[in-house]
Amino acid sequence: MRSHAAAVAWEFWRRHRWGLIAVACYLLALATFKLLMLVRGQPVTFDDELTFSFAVVVPSATAFMYFLAVFSFGFAGDLAGRQSIYPARLFTLPVTSGALAGWPMLYGTVAMAVLWLATRFLAVWPSDLDVPLIWPALFAATILAWAQALTWMPYGLPGLRVVVTVLLLVLIDVVVFVAHDSKASEPVMLAILVPSLPLAFLVARFAVARARRGAVPDGRNIFIRFGQVADFLSRRRDRFRSPASAQAWFEWRRYGWSLPVLVGILLPFELFLLFLFRDTPVLVFETLLAVLFTPPFMAVFVAANVSKPTFMGSDSYGVAPFIASRPLTNVSLVAAKLKAAIWSTLATWLLVIVTIFLALRLTGTSTLVIEWMGKVIEAVGTPRAIVIVLLGFSLLVASTWKQLVQSLYIGMSGRGWLVKGSVFLALSLLTLFVVLAQWLINQGRPIVTLWNALPWIATVLVCVKISAAAWVAVRLGESRLLSDRTLVLGAACWAVAVFALYGLLVWLVSTVLIPSYFFALVAILATPLARLSAAPLALSWNRHR
Amino acid sequence: MITVSELTRRFGARTALASVSLSVTRGAVHGLVGANGAGKTTLIKHILGLLRAESGSVRVFGLDPVADPVAVLSRIGYLSEEKDLPGWMRVDELIRYSRAFYPAWDDVYAEELRQTFALDPTMKISDLSRGQKAQAGLLIALAYRPELLVLDEPSSGLDPIVRRDILGAIIRTIASEGRTVLFSSHLLDEVEQVADHVTMIDQGRIAHSAPMDALRESYRCVTIRFEESQPRPPAFAGALCWDGGDREWTAVVHRDSGELDGAVASSGGRVVAERAPSLDELFIAHVGTPAAPDGEA
Repeated sequence: MRSHAAAVAWEFWRRHRWGLIAVACYLLALATFKLLMLVRGQPVTFDDELTFSFAVVVPSATAFMYFLAVFSFGFAGDLAGRQSIYPARLFTLPVTSGALAGWPMLYGTVAMAVLWLATRFLAVWPSDLDVPLIWPALFAATILAWAQALTWMPYGLPGLRVVVTVLLLVLIDVVVFVAHDSKASEPVMLAILVPSLPLAFLVARFAVARARRGAVPDGRNIFIRFGQVADFLSRRRDRFRSPASAQAWFEWRRYGWSLPVLVGILLPFELFLLFLFRDTPVLVFETLLAVLFTPPFMAVFVAANVSKPTFMGSDSYGVAPFIASRPLTNVSLVAAKLKAAIWSTLATWLLVIVTIFLALRLTGTSTLVIEWMGKVIEAVGTPRAIVIVLLGFSLLVASTWKQLVQSLYIGMSGRGWLVKGSVFLALSLLTLFVVLAQWLINQGRPIVTLWNALPWIATVLVCVKISAAAWVAVRLGESRLLSDRTLVLGAACWAVAVFALYGLLVWLVSTVLIPSYFFALVAILATPLARLSAAPLALSWNRHR
Repeated sequence: MITVSELTRRFGARTALASVSLSVTRGAVHGLVGANGAGKTTLIKHILGLLRAESGSVRVFGLDPVADPVAVLSRIGYLSEEKDLPGWMRVDELIRYSRAFYPAWDDVYAEELRQTFALDPTMKISDLSRGQKAQAGLLIALAYRPELLVLDEPSSGLDPIVRRDILGAIIRTIASEGRTVLFSSHLLDEVEQVADHVTMIDQGRIAHSAPMDALRESYRCVTIRFEESQPRPPAFAGALCWDGGDREWTAVVHRDSGELDGAVASSGGRVVAERAPSLDELFIAHVGTPAAPDGEA
């Protein structure tokens, strides 16, 4: 290898060769399929949406996401951290920052363009689709280039990278799709996309140069003050009441503010829409709905940080010795995380409520909400209306907390293959679910069948959940992580929560259409049990390897 | 205090510890020496319960550190090789946080240590130098006067002043309270200064374990001069290792190898110097390779 460019290319190949080979195999399979159809003289059309989704859309989208992760060094870096995710080991190479940024960007953008062009030419497309040639390739390359530029940038706050990158990529998406929906011609699309590539390169070069000289801004001081206020409020300035409270404070300070801050950054943008749509009630309610679903949605991203057992390097999944050598049980360490997640959830929702209240007052849309509440009270009566609102709010709060902590059992296991495998599995299942849902919507009959089978599906899920919980309980008992008394007490508390939710659902939804046992199944499935109980086991597996 | 019996640990195909047995008595200062990757940290992690014994057993204070981590860890002061203190904490927050875990925490002693190490309480850990981070770690490991102090490569990569502070702290701990210290290092001169028992580990096995005094008394270092140049060291039974060349060779030998003088004379050489060997020489004699230079992990 005589040049830096070749060395960078070799590194991408050496590290990701199996993934790249898989993508190449997929494209080869597409080509073979198309060739076979041409040889047989069959018309080259693909009008079955489901088959097209499975054969082209899902694999291509997966390959796109994979390229995005590979060429932005997303597999190695800490997306939630402040430091650049560009590998620091490359900073000492005797090349310019422009070359450090440029070669991965060139390889990535070319790979993206090739992926599109190969899919465009090798896949069998629906006959009624006019598939453009150039601009989607440039669009994919632009998305990658900006993803690289923004993820390589050092940031002042942990988590800010994700927010900035997502916002800007969504903005590019919106601009391109609006232009496309407006029937913009290919030259216009190119005119929109082409200038953004050199701009992305300049930003990437700036980001790498900044990271290279160690210029990482530090905006955490405001959160230190935030934490000090929390300390003052809880009157623990002098000493902690117990080791457990000290550990909860530690967890809170480590990531507790992440969710309130992320949601706080998004809220002004979302609530600004109330100013724009204040004369359209439907859009006002849709905006409010989006705002209410923001905390549980953002909690999914923060959860990765919550479940990480270490506060150290991004590649590390093990428990940091500093934490592992605390004289605390595994259950206490997990309990501290759960407690900090509660504080984080409550702080986030306090922020959301205050901001919504202010936004409604300032935009004059509060009257719309009051009118809507009046209609609800009229329709279902005051007690039910109050319960519906309280239950809905409680479910949102509980869902936020659940999103934060439900993957603890994976993250705390400290096994990279399990963490990455679960992400892959979740994305695959999500894709499958979307495709399946689309298929069900397109067909009439299966929806009825599915509706009739819903109790059975719920029963199977309940059996799986209870079996998993029983296994976890036995393992917790055997490994002496929890005493028998605590296990029984925990099971009793869970049963009380399930019965309470069941009773509430039965009282609230008094209809003959849904049998009451179905509410019992829903209550069992909705109340966290197995995954949460498995967290101490996972931590034990990690802490005492 | 610590009893390790037939402990074996593998990481994939590599055997990190092979049938290691070790006993550390109360009040002892036990030094673990070995090259990088010899298994010192792996052994210490088993003692702390951060690794589970695959075969064999580990008992600390008579307890299993994996089954009963709270009872064991609350009596141990530990300074990690990784200097992994949370960077976002301030020094005073670190002290406040750590104090919560140990009922025997001594505020006066903690403050005394902080002043000795000149640590600014308002500084963030991430802004401290490497040496200051080690001092902060040592502060929270010592301030509750643990029964057992475990230091994993405490002065690795540190400047002489910080190393002196750390050694001083160990010496004070022993002198004032007679507590037990287990520390690993590849800096043999500092082990020699403070340890009263040394265990040498090589490729996951105990190469030698003995009290420091017995170790010194059992061996001698002899320098032999020959009339004519010797291309290779002479073959004397009882010589553990040779160093030198040409006409002058130095050997570490068992003190009781009585036949050495006769053998030297018959080979045309004569003993020109004799002294007690350093730990460095003893380590090379037993393990066969010199200890790694300072600064390497």
